[in-house]
Amino acid sequence: MKRIFVPLLLSLLLVSSLLWAATGPTQQIQQIVDTVLQVLNRTDLDYAAKRREVSGLVQTHINVQSISQRTLAVHWKKATPQQRERFSKLFVQVLEATYLNRIEDYSGGRVDYLNERVKGDKAIVDTQFVSDKVEIPVQYKMVREQGIWQIYDVVIENVSLVRNYRSSYGQIVSSEGFDGLFARLESKLAEPPVAGKKQ
Amino acid sequence: MRVVLPLVLCLTLLVLSFAPLLAADDFVRPAAAAQTGGDDFDAEFDDDFDDDFDDDFDDDFDDDFGDESEAQPRPLIADPLEPWNRGVFLVNDKLYFYLFKPVARGYRVVPRPVRTSIGNFFSNLSTPVRAVNALLQLKVRDVGTELGRLAVNSTIGWGGLFDPAGYSLRWKKKSEDFGQTLGFYGVKSGWYLVLPIFGPSSVRDGAGLVVDQFLDPLLYADIKVREYYSLRALERVNALSLDADSYEKFKRDALDPYLFIRAAYAQHRLANIRK
Repeated sequence: MKRIFVPLLLSLLLVSSLLWAATGPTQQIQQIVDTVLQVLNRTDLDYAAKRREVSGLVQTHINVQSISQRTLAVHWKKATPQQRERFSKLFVQVLEATYLNRIEDYSGGRVDYLNERVKGDKAIVDTQFVSDKVEIPVQYKMVREQGIWQIYDVVIENVSLVRNYRSSYGQIVSSEGFDGLFARLESKLAEPPVAGKKQ
Repeated sequence: MRVVLPLVLCLTLLVLSFAPLLAADDFVRPAAAAQTGGDDFDAEFDDDFDDDFDDDFDDDFDDDFGDESEAQPRPLIADPLEPWNRGVFLVNDKLYFYLFKPVARGYRVVPRPVRTSIGNFFSNLSTPVRAVNALLQLKVRDVGTELGRLAVNSTIGWGGLFDPAGYSLRWKKKSEDFGQTLGFYGVKSGWYLVLPIFGPSSVRDGAGLVVDQFLDPLLYADIKVREYYSLRALERVNALSLDADSYEKFKRDALDPYLFIRAAYAQHRLANIRK
């Protein structure tokens, strides 16, 4: 009995530490949100600089391929590899900017992590943004790829970003082609950010 | 006079709604299918989970490998009236920036807590809309919550100016309207409609709006027509003054605000109907 006790204890510790070390979906979201909020609260950077800071971080946590493909849906198949790449790059920037805008608009609140549901390699993390004026449910849908949890959709107040973008972009591609879409994306990204107005 | 106008609108919309309801290419899943009505937490959990995961995840993937003959992705809501809707959308946009928003901004001289109280007051008045529609959808618990809120807020909440029911008792208000009731029973949304002033709607929800007018207690109060419409206008301006520039944000974030709002509206309604 004594002879197996120590190895047993050691292996238990090893296993539990491994489990502990893997970052779960909620922790992943927490990391992103905390870092983004930190950057946003910095007073020494202007908006463009803040966006640059956050840019790399968001990109590692978004499954770019998956989210771009789902957004373009039917059009993805018809697109050439160059078009796909160009779209992916532009789209991720748009997502970052949108996300940043939203968070900045509501800065001064806190984020509550409500719930985490995991099913195999997929997970849904429910959070709530709470300030004295609003309570906004934000849900992240994630997939685990190579051990890292990545976001493939964000659902804000029951409105899925991917579905939303898909229907708008889909119509734009149908009527104006990819070039029309790219032109619009680029001009939107070039717009100076509009500061949120106080009430 | 107060009753005739809404009645005529209601009848018109109901008549109009039959044609598109039969013919509409509505790709929104029937609401009834999603309702499990489960009190059992696990059943709801799994359904929600499966709904979110399997339906959404696989559905999305199917889209990607989907029907090659489809020229474009299926819209969330049918919109054959798009040119007309875009026109109304543009008019609403101008009205918003040149009329409503400036008025709401001017109105912001009224201190925020007062405006919040006024908002609470009107929200309390619209309890019948929520309660009756919850009843029609057989959501008994929600009916109880709404009636409870009405009782508590009208008494302890100083005639509805405050919301102790929501704040202290955590009895949260739940939006219900006749459009949702219709959706609950499987009526499809019909064509997307942009209504003047009111904004995004659909044939079903527009008809629902008209029906809900009759549940407004003010309609039966002893006040003049002019006073009635003034109070309604006050309600709208007040709500707008409390709003944090949401419309401006949509415009800023979206490549095409019209399409973006349309998609958001369709999803929002579907989610509300399910709840």
